[in-house]
Amino acid sequence: MSLFWTLLGGLVNVATVLLVAPFFEGVLRKVTARIQSRQGPPLRQPYFDLLKLLGKEDIESGETPLMQRFAVYLSLASVLTVACLIPMGFPAPMNGAGDAILLIYLLTLAGVCTLLAGLAAGSTYSLLGISREMMAMIALEPLFAVAIVIGAVKTGSFRLDTVLHGSVYGAGFPLSGLLMLVVMVLSFQAFVQRVPFDTAEAETEIMEGALIEYSGPKLALFKYAQMAKLVLYSGLFVTLFVPWGNRLAFPFGWLVFWTKVFGLVLLVTLVAATHARYRIDQALRYFAGLLGVALVALVLASYGY
Amino acid sequence: MTLPYPAQAQPVPERFRGRPIFDAAKCIGCAGCANNCPAREILVYDVCQEIRILKYLGRRCTYCGRCADVCPEKAITMSHEFENATDSIGDLQQSIELFMSTCQRCGRCFKEPSPLEQLKLKGYRLDDLGNERWVYRSKAYLDEEAAADDVRIELDE
Amino acid sequence: MFGRSLWVFHANSGGCNGCDIEVLNVLTPYYDAERFGIKLVGSPRHADVMLCQGPAMRSTAKALQRAYEAMPAPKLVFAIGSCACGGGLWFDSYTVLGPVEKLIPVNFYIPGCPPRPEAILYGVAVALGLVDKKTAPVRFKQLELPIPRYHPGDLRGQDEMVVYEKLEKV
Repeated sequence: MSLFWTLLGGLVNVATVLLVAPFFEGVLRKVTARIQSRQGPPLRQPYFDLLKLLGKEDIESGETPLMQRFAVYLSLASVLTVACLIPMGFPAPMNGAGDAILLIYLLTLAGVCTLLAGLAAGSTYSLLGISREMMAMIALEPLFAVAIVIGAVKTGSFRLDTVLHGSVYGAGFPLSGLLMLVVMVLSFQAFVQRVPFDTAEAETEIMEGALIEYSGPKLALFKYAQMAKLVLYSGLFVTLFVPWGNRLAFPFGWLVFWTKVFGLVLLVTLVAATHARYRIDQALRYFAGLLGVALVALVLASYGY
Repeated sequence: MTLPYPAQAQPVPERFRGRPIFDAAKCIGCAGCANNCPAREILVYDVCQEIRILKYLGRRCTYCGRCADVCPEKAITMSHEFENATDSIGDLQQSIELFMSTCQRCGRCFKEPSPLEQLKLKGYRLDDLGNERWVYRSKAYLDEEAAADDVRIELDE
Repeated sequence: MFGRSLWVFHANSGGCNGCDIEVLNVLTPYYDAERFGIKLVGSPRHADVMLCQGPAMRSTAKALQRAYEAMPAPKLVFAIGSCACGGGLWFDSYTVLGPVEKLIPVNFYIPGCPPRPEAILYGVAVALGLVDKKTAPVRFKQLELPIPRYHPGDLRGQDEMVVYEKLEKV
């Protein structure tokens, strides 16, 4: 019986993420266009893009075609597994299967897949793109890990349903929780790879970075994984820091969760449309500062603040 | 602030130079346009002493308007059409076949009274219509062989 | 789906950059090509359409051919500007090999020097089948000649008695 609910919950989560991710990307492009005083593409444009890419010829090029395939499938698979671990209005389907450490590792794996993709291509541009992505990831994953660890320290367990429900605030004065909230808001754009910090993918927007040798269906899957990452990171942020209302009865909690994610996507769009891109060294200095503040928050959390 | 382009066409400026339109009714066949086209896009072929074919190929035309400037009869107008996209480049051709009067004494050439007249093409010219090539040589008179179907022409390589 | 989302790769093989600027204009907010789903991408492997400008030059010929082969099928090539359509003003210069169609097969031509951004958008619309093209070859032939044409081979006799054999040879 519980297997059935697990499967059903997992299916609902994955299906929702897959359906909604291109829509949010469409909203992002449309709002960016409106901010730039032009009409943008229709809201369903990313669906058309993905369908068109699925119909193109699949040219396998680059140094190792096998690793190319592996990187794409692993990327989408790890992203969809994370979708099963987040409580989106109802308890996460794979609650008992893993804890918060697994979540951190799966998200890192999604980033490593970009590394594999760039290595599989082997061209100068892709190697440059992935070197920047790795530098950014080294500075960013600790931020996210510290947020989860603060939640675990405050609630005393790594279980997903306790950590992912606003555990950073905990009991007593939530100083470290608020500090962590500020740090995450300031660095959120980097997690979802949007403008001030998208040196990895779109920096070589002239040359597309790690994805330079992908074409057709594999590119569609990669783009899908990137769109889903936007949704998932927003979902994680919502469950960690703004969880009030997520535990209502089934339809309402679910709707509240997706409304909050939508609001966060709009915030990401606004910041992305009005800012310029940072160079990699400027971005790293920024993250180093935020990491220092995050560690201070961790120390405060371990002392009970 | 976006122009609703396909829905509403925007007005072009007055002196905008679009595609040149050749009015065959006014053309006198002086081939001043062919002589002065910087891209060598207008070809002249004299079938015989009395018939001249002028062919405008639209491929390399840079819409500079020198042909319209030189034309003594104002037979060429730079229209306001810029929507010339096509999938076959031969769609932009305009060709005119004209009857040319002959001079009583020598056939075609005459002394030009003005600098404008001196810009016109003198003598006979046989461009390569089949391969759409401009041939850099004019002849003062037509040979007997030149008037038949198999044309022997000298190409400047 | 091809008609709703076109990803464009921009390849300038030696032109003067006039048409480059017009293509860039098409992507700005004033003419906004993105509302038709057209997006500029950086790699030929992601693209459906290659916008070629500039004539085929000796120095960039190989690079243009490799970029064309790197595009996945189905693909379209647009030749933008007079240089790409027919060789341009410098067709007889020492590096220019001719129009772009000498190297890669071209599907659509957008002539102009440079073509207006509206002309480029119109060309894309013609390619997608949304509008009809507005050009067709024009041929004027003078059917009635005022006097008969004398071919030297049709004249018989000599000196005073010269007879013209065929009266209606046009």
